[in-house]
Amino acid sequence: MNQNIDLLTLRSVSKSYGTVPVLHDIDLSIRDGEFLTVLGPSGSGKTTVLRLIGGLEPLTAGEIRLDGQDISRMPINKRPFNTVFQDYALFPHMTVSGNVGYGLSVRHIKRKEIASRVSQALELVQLGRFAERFPAQLSGGQRQRVALARALICQPRLILLDEPLAALDLELRRQMQEFLKSIQREIKTTFLFVTHDQEEAIGMADRICVMQAGHIRQLGTPHELYYKPNCEFVARFFGENNLVAGKLGPVQGEQRPIETALGRLVCSICDQPHLKTAPDGVSAFAAFRPEALHLADAKDGANRFSGTITDLAFAGSSTVATIMAGANDAAQRLRLRMPSRIDGSALKSGEMVSLCFAPHEGHLVLA
Amino acid sequence: MSAPRPSTIFLAAITALVAVLLYSPLFVPIVSSFFTISHGNVDWSSPTLSTYVALAGNHEILAALRTTLIVGLCTVVLSVVSGTLLALYYHGRRFGRSYLQFIIFLPFLMPPIISGLALLIFFREIGLERSLLTVVIGHTVFVLAIVYRTVLMRLQSMSRTLVEASYDLGATGWQTFWRIILPNLSSAMVGGAILAFALSFDETMITILVTGTQSTLPVRLWAMMRLGFSPDINALVALILMFTVLLCVLAARFLIPRQMATERT
Ligand SMILES: Nc1ncnc2c1ncn2[C@@H]1O[C@H](COP(=O)(O)OP(=O)(O)O)[C@@H](O)[C@H]1O
Ligand SMILES: [Mg+2]
Repeated sequence: MNQNIDLLTLRSVSKSYGTVPVLHDIDLSIRDGEFLTVLGPSGSGKTTVLRLIGGLEPLTAGEIRLDGQDISRMPINKRPFNTVFQDYALFPHMTVSGNVGYGLSVRHIKRKEIASRVSQALELVQLGRFAERFPAQLSGGQRQRVALARALICQPRLILLDEPLAALDLELRRQMQEFLKSIQREIKTTFLFVTHDQEEAIGMADRICVMQAGHIRQLGTPHELYYKPNCEFVARFFGENNLVAGKLGPVQGEQRPIETALGRLVCSICDQPHLKTAPDGVSAFAAFRPEALHLADAKDGANRFSGTITDLAFAGSSTVATIMAGANDAAQRLRLRMPSRIDGSALKSGEMVSLCFAPHEGHLVLA
Repeated sequence: MSAPRPSTIFLAAITALVAVLLYSPLFVPIVSSFFTISHGNVDWSSPTLSTYVALAGNHEILAALRTTLIVGLCTVVLSVVSGTLLALYYHGRRFGRSYLQFIIFLPFLMPPIISGLALLIFFREIGLERSLLTVVIGHTVFVLAIVYRTVLMRLQSMSRTLVEASYDLGATGWQTFWRIILPNLSSAMVGGAILAFALSFDETMITILVTGTQSTLPVRLWAMMRLGFSPDINALVALILMFTVLLCVLAARFLIPRQMATERT
């Protein structure tokens, strides 16, 4: 297992249903042993990506390579991948152990070995006591774990999970997130995990692939996506963000200014070559997180502007202020997040304040 | 709630009346089968099982009953196998499927006398002697639609991901069919078989037209009517009624999906 080796590669993969294009020219590499999450709003093509990899749908164009070998035309039942379906797809007429052992018994493995591997797999997902139950006699979370055990008993190279936690309630979802993560660490198998929930993605993934309208918008670690989104969609979709439109100014080393309704804002462009080469005057956004925005004091020079607090929302450990900043005709709605304090907020609603963010905490995305 | 309003009472009375009018004729033969009939009138004074004893000695009727059962069983086997295959074809393939469905339903929807005549002419043209074989073919053509429809509905309510999951876990098409699809269809097939048997059991019109020398029970009864009823007919009707009710209950049990197959969270 080496996380720097590509297990599976999608090259210029396109998919259309009839004449309707659903995936456009997708390139994606999945590394051996990683937990890769595909994140995107509903209808963005996440399930389709999974079905193409699993072999449930034929490609319209492009190829899929496993260890460098083209497997685009390999039939489903020969691919060393297993899927955890969104509706679990447990066989209703088989017991839990019948379900879990199915993948072995269709390969004509000896009964004894099946029995021992089934009980191992059920131990792993903590369902040993439920071996003789039928799926209808299990709770949602238990069915989920049966589906997982059934997929991993075949020792696949890659496990495909399509929104496996979407049907569970919040508390159970949290538990299952940790559980899945711990199992993945234990068996060291590559997981490709689809979700539309960005918190789930941040919490579980080694890397996240953000999809929108059949395109991959960005692929990176949760940290990269959060702090260096490469487009407006990712900047808005991934976590709370403040975006202020403007025109790029000339590059200044690792920073670049942008002229906005709030004045000139200077943002970091380090490690983002496409922002270095973009011509002056191009439309872009300054993006900064609510927690990067703070009240300005005397020593703050750059990225200073004033605004009026319109709302204060206490959210437990933090308090979020909504601020209207800039001139009236071009006022920007911004959010500021700060740690809550026991003696109440330092801010008052309706108050006029001076705000700023540090240049290295702001970044740019092209419009 | 307060006391029932007059309109409620009125509706209840009408409902009761309709129920009595519709269903009491069904119970008269059962009740009267336990009494003797003399001079065309039921003698209500002494209950007896003599009609059942007489029935047991009526060889013509017993032979007809045996024929009916043989025809019914053959029809069930033929119609379940072909109905299931046709449903699988319709579910999985596109080519000609709506025409196919139309042809399957046609004999069931046409007046039986038309279906029967068409079959009769067909058998004569191909030179097939009228016999129990032609009766079985006639019944199968007639009841196929029911089995087909029953199995198809179950197929369509089966989650498509079950089949996908089977392939995904490495099964071949053949393994998927025997181990996933067929077990999930089996209760629908049993239900369809019971319905097919019940339909075949009392099919009269087509049978009269295509049978050879042997008659099935309904045909036999039909013939006996011209000579007037003997008391053992009551016993026979009572037995058939009870048997049919049993079949219907069984069919309902198999066709109403079990909790196991449908429950979802
Ligand atoms: N079998 C299909 N036939 C036609 N269109 C489909 C089919 N499956 C999915 N689509 C379309 O493809 C797009 C992407 O679907 P999907 O991959 O299921 O998205 P996601 O899983 O991200 O919600 C949607 O617009 C959907 O309507
Ligand atoms: Mg989906």
